[in-house]
Amino acid sequence: MDMNAYLSMFIDESNDHLQALNENLLKLENDPQDLSIVQVIFRSAHTLKGMSATMGFEDLASLTHEMENVLDLVRNSKLSMDSFIFDTLFKGLDALEAMVQDVVEGGTGKADVSALIVSLQSIVKGDYKTNASAAPSAAANAAEGNLSSGNELLDIFQLSVLKQSIEAGSKAYYIKVTLREDCVLKAVRAYMVFDVLERNGEVIKSDPSVQDIEQDKFDRSFIVFLISSSDQQALKDGIESVSEVELAEVVLLDAESIQLYGPQNEQSPAPKAAAPSAVPQPQQEAKQQVAAAKAQTAAAATAPVNRTIRVDIDRLDSLMNLFSELLIDRVRLEQLSSEIKRGDLSETVEHMARVSTDLQDIVLKLRMVPVESVFNRFPRMVRDIAKNLDKKIDLVITGAETELDRTVIDEIGDPLVHLLRNSLDHGVEMPADRIAAGKSDTGTVHLRAFHSGNHVFIEVEDDGNGIDAAKVSRIAIKNGVLTEEEAKKLSEEQLQMLIFAPGFSTADKISDLSGRGVGLDVVKSKITSLGGHVSIRSKLGQGTIFSIQLPLTLSIIAAMLIKMGDEKYAIPLSSIVETGIIQRDKIATVHGNQMIEFRGSVIPVVSLSRVLDVESFNEDDEQETEIVVIRKGDKLAALMIDSFIGQSEIVLKSLGKYLPAVKAISGATILGDGQVALIIDPNAFIK
Amino acid sequence: MGEELKVIVFALGQEEYGIEVDKVRTIERMQPITRVPKTPTFIKGVINLRGIVIPVLDLRGRFGLNETEPTENSRIIIVAANEMEVGFIVDSANDVIDIDSDTIDSPPEVVGGIQAKYLQGIAKIGDKRLLVMLNLSEVLNKNEIMQLEQLEV
Repeated sequence: MDMNAYLSMFIDESNDHLQALNENLLKLENDPQDLSIVQVIFRSAHTLKGMSATMGFEDLASLTHEMENVLDLVRNSKLSMDSFIFDTLFKGLDALEAMVQDVVEGGTGKADVSALIVSLQSIVKGDYKTNASAAPSAAANAAEGNLSSGNELLDIFQLSVLKQSIEAGSKAYYIKVTLREDCVLKAVRAYMVFDVLERNGEVIKSDPSVQDIEQDKFDRSFIVFLISSSDQQALKDGIESVSEVELAEVVLLDAESIQLYGPQNEQSPAPKAAAPSAVPQPQQEAKQQVAAAKAQTAAAATAPVNRTIRVDIDRLDSLMNLFSELLIDRVRLEQLSSEIKRGDLSETVEHMARVSTDLQDIVLKLRMVPVESVFNRFPRMVRDIAKNLDKKIDLVITGAETELDRTVIDEIGDPLVHLLRNSLDHGVEMPADRIAAGKSDTGTVHLRAFHSGNHVFIEVEDDGNGIDAAKVSRIAIKNGVLTEEEAKKLSEEQLQMLIFAPGFSTADKISDLSGRGVGLDVVKSKITSLGGHVSIRSKLGQGTIFSIQLPLTLSIIAAMLIKMGDEKYAIPLSSIVETGIIQRDKIATVHGNQMIEFRGSVIPVVSLSRVLDVESFNEDDEQETEIVVIRKGDKLAALMIDSFIGQSEIVLKSLGKYLPAVKAISGATILGDGQVALIIDPNAFIK
Repeated sequence: MGEELKVIVFALGQEEYGIEVDKVRTIERMQPITRVPKTPTFIKGVINLRGIVIPVLDLRGRFGLNETEPTENSRIIIVAANEMEVGFIVDSANDVIDIDSDTIDSPPEVVGGIQAKYLQGIAKIGDKRLLVMLNLSEVLNKNEIMQLEQLEV
């Protein structure tokens, strides 16, 4: 059987599950009592395990299996989470990610996970806290293993769980599933059976073990003990509806018949007796919680989460281009139908116009991806680094829904990692220093994204110590980046920008995070290669903001379409403050510049027709002129224009490589009628 | 016998010119062109070619010839070279012919007012017909626009 066909699906889904695991573990860390999160985590882990076992990635499967064991105890309230368990689980996730990455790169997904498995197992055994008692309990465990490998299918603990649930009114079943002899994918079918069972109740025990089953290590049949509220026939039907299942033998158990499967000799060793007797009490409560969570799960399962497929970007490009052509034809058709004036023709054309408007929306948005897909790995990273550095840090993410072109998204991850690390390592101080400086001991790092003008801004802000410009210039002089003379001429801001120089580091000592002087210059060159720009705003003692400005190449923005004589232009809506009409005689001349009063302040007025050399319009012929007030940062300016056409969503297109960069023009767009309109860059009018 | 070349033939004034067929994307009729401010006068602006914005230049203006008003026969030839796509406005374009690369001679200094560096050679077709082969990468030389710009400023 050729597994390659499923490989890409496996990779996509594994990545999704790993991401979900990461997110939910972080959530759980903040709220360790919330068992519903554990349920979600458990499900992800379980699916991941099933998939990797089916695909033959055994190390992946065995590691997930051990993690699942730990989670299983947690969700049944037999184990409460603590920082050791979280750390181990996170390490496990990292290992899983590394293995999946290996698979992505064509490897076998093999890795040495034995150390992790041992520590996970020690959590399950509960002996990770007290190493002293490790030896006896390990021995007890071994004994347990011996017992269950004998004739008895259930150990004393599982027996008591079954008994408890029968007493609580649930039904316990012995189920023997036999697969057809010619079944090719036994593990897959078994997995589907387990899926059915888990939807109906809780699997207490399976023989052979779930792990062995998923690795195909079983003959044709396996035995499962299940607690469920469903009736016998429904279960039988459910299991037999899975294809290639030959027979499902479902037997209802009562308190007596269970004993048959339990250990015959009731003389359980003393240390073991202590454990089960401690469990039953919380067990009851846990059951109810589990049942409640199950109900939720069932509801969630019917609404599939984020169904996606992955598409080659080139195909999206050609889709978009084809669509633009369609638009042109649409406009022509509309013209023709208005000339021909036939009722049913214009009706059809109108309908087509509506459909194509919707289609346009969809096609244009296909290429855009929320920055969330980059941001969502940072909480985890920040947590790890903060822990590493013994700092307390809150990461606040805003604007994760801001959309960026896919190609930019792919490139922006690494620079952001550098900037965040830099803020965590150099920006935020140690808790003691923070308290001494009169700040709270927990540092806050903001990561935010937003649209402004033709750009998307991504900012990393910390409330740490800020950049010491004097120190920067001292080091720069020492490293030969600039001379003392030059340093004196630079503004504080320019000095701060020096930290982006290659080989520059202000860290007193090198840590494994940063301080080697590689990083920020890489960030800068990467951003520049994306056509973006990095800037710093920093106040000594108060914090630093790194601001990345990225162009919106090939993205959609809302714009105001305007007319200048017989030409049309688009102005990005995000930089428009307001529009209005002014009397020509209200314009005053100050130092040779035209200014008007606008809402209590005096702002410059720019003649757009002169800047763009428009011949067919001159505002000097008018008594009143329409203006557009634009903004860059906190500075304003008014552009005099001919008339407004209206607001529209436009696609940014580049003017091509041939044309030199044109001042005041940031790109072009194609209007609904197929004409090209130039997009005005408001930033060019304000210095 | 040299290699056989397929060539698109177009006219500027009285002369006939050729561009190798594999450099030509498509040939379009004249259509509305959006002017781009602050560019040399021979750059007529940009057009929308099936969703891609393509700059269009008047080949007469590019070669320093007199520009004329477009006619019914005027065409825009979209060429792709140096990783760029650019449209040329020409007086007419209506022929594809095969020529033998051996028949291409090196160009004289000036042909119809066009400097030799823009030309690849001159091909002789039949007895009387002469075809001027364009050197596209030189025609699309960006540095030259920059210089022109500086001259105009």
